[in-house]
Amino acid sequence: MVWWGTLSGGLAILLGAFMTGAPIFIAFLVINIAGVLIVLGQPGFGMVANSIFETTNIAALSAVPLFILMGELLFRSGSIDILFDSVDKLVGKVRGRQYVLCIVLSTIFGALSGAAMGVAAMMARTLYPGMIERKYDSRLSTGAILAGASLAPIIPPSVLVIIIGTLADVSIAGLLIAGIVPGLILSGMFLIYIFARVRANPELAPYGDSDTAPEVTVWEMVVAVLRVLPFAVIIFCVMGFILLGIATPSESAATGVLGALLTAIYYRKLSWRMISESVTSAAFITSMILVIMASSKMFSQLLAFTGSTRELTTLIVTLNFEPYVMLFIMMLIPFILCMFIDQIALMLVVIPIYQPLLGTLGFDPIWFWLIMLLNVTVGGITPPFGYTMFAFKGSAPNVPLSDIFNATWPFVGIFLVGMIVIAAFPPLATWLPGLL
Amino acid sequence: MGEALSALARLHDAVTRLGFHLSKLCLGIIVVAYCYEVFARYFFGAPTWWSNEAVQYSLCIGCFLMMPHVTKEKGHVAVTVILDMMATEKTRILYWFIYLVGFLACAAATWISLDENIRQIVKDVHLMKVKPIPKIYISAWITYGFASSAIYFLRMLDPRTLGIGKPASGMHG
Repeated sequence: MVWWGTLSGGLAILLGAFMTGAPIFIAFLVINIAGVLIVLGQPGFGMVANSIFETTNIAALSAVPLFILMGELLFRSGSIDILFDSVDKLVGKVRGRQYVLCIVLSTIFGALSGAAMGVAAMMARTLYPGMIERKYDSRLSTGAILAGASLAPIIPPSVLVIIIGTLADVSIAGLLIAGIVPGLILSGMFLIYIFARVRANPELAPYGDSDTAPEVTVWEMVVAVLRVLPFAVIIFCVMGFILLGIATPSESAATGVLGALLTAIYYRKLSWRMISESVTSAAFITSMILVIMASSKMFSQLLAFTGSTRELTTLIVTLNFEPYVMLFIMMLIPFILCMFIDQIALMLVVIPIYQPLLGTLGFDPIWFWLIMLLNVTVGGITPPFGYTMFAFKGSAPNVPLSDIFNATWPFVGIFLVGMIVIAAFPPLATWLPGLL
Repeated sequence: MGEALSALARLHDAVTRLGFHLSKLCLGIIVVAYCYEVFARYFFGAPTWWSNEAVQYSLCIGCFLMMPHVTKEKGHVAVTVILDMMATEKTRILYWFIYLVGFLACAAATWISLDENIRQIVKDVHLMKVKPIPKIYISAWITYGFASSAIYFLRMLDPRTLGIGKPASGMHG
């Protein structure tokens, strides 16, 4: 069979298998075992076993459970409530202050948690009811929470970065640090959008709500800052250790876990039950993710064996498109697919195909994979399929799914503008990693 | 016959529960090993030789010890957009086929992994590490994970339990 037939046929069967509702790891297993049998025959089965073994024996992937555990410990212990109170005191009297509080808190949570779902669920439980009670616009509130939660995979720590870095064989430390500036830019863009909307339509934020802000003296503000210092220590354990070259991302994640435990002790929020629940959740999610990664590894090897990846690279060289046209096409495909399929499944399919093309197109790997990270992250809030939206819905069941879908689109648009900005100004992504 | 099967099912669940707790222990080992490594390297100037290996092994073993529990709880990530739009009766039939395919795929993976395990024992394959250990010590857990999950998929084919719960959405991103 010609290479493009193999490639497009394989991808179509795989995506079709995903859509049947079968567990993603099962879809990969079926396609890979059948593919090996056809391409290599029974002697190739040893490679399937080895691909599973090697994927789950990558030490760098240990950052996945550790980043999840860190966030779980902070959220489940209730330590995060102190951060909530302090930021509430510091935001001050601004029109639409609950929206501002939401974005500022999400940005800080982004530096403490590696996954958007946890932040979305937590904000939907804690902040959203208060926003509705104060007569804030439901749709803008929902959008702000979902957009804010989507900063978590971009600002380190990030589970998605560990997966992309491992699959694309790019510096995980570099990719983690590269997310800081774009994360802050997006946070700023969300705030600008919210201020513009509230200014254009004052009814989106109730009159006089800024008056309900607590009266805070300078001393109380100092105390509020001092109370959140333990969180700064955790952030330093993760970002600081990586930036200073003290620890690898996995090691810094482990020290972040230790920091989260010490923070819980400091705030007197530590309990065995909380630790057990956090560890259970982290181990469960990790198994779920690693089993998919292990089952999928052979897919990229099969593409290489059939010569599809090599032929695709040759075709791209022959087409001689402008790099920015190629970048657009390469980002459009995952953007559309992420509306319907799981982000990790998509990355497992797309990254092995894209990786060989980067050298040919002359793209900086950190810059390219960071834009891809933004792309798959926004996939969590692009209807109809997005885990971040589902996590919000799970914690705010009274909000109709159609309202959630409508709420996200403006913020999806902001994400796209953010991606264009990063694409146009690569140093925004590459400057910080260049300091490593 | 029915009682014997129930007893086997209870034994299967008990083994899974034990694996579930050991998996949490593996995560604890990862935290302790890396924290110790950072402190030993920067405070005592004495990096360890074992931390990276302990983490790698714990990650693999922990992942596959937890896998049967994830399967039992129907916690594997699945794209259920189409299933969610279908009528309940059709969904039940489709789930039966999904569990059947799940059983066959996991059984095939078990067979492939077991075949590799036997080869590793016969050829005395060791992992190329600072302290080489037989590869079977780690890879055997992969076989366990797939085998036990295959049994859970088989148990899900029971019409009495079919359609209760469904492949769940994951928690990542």
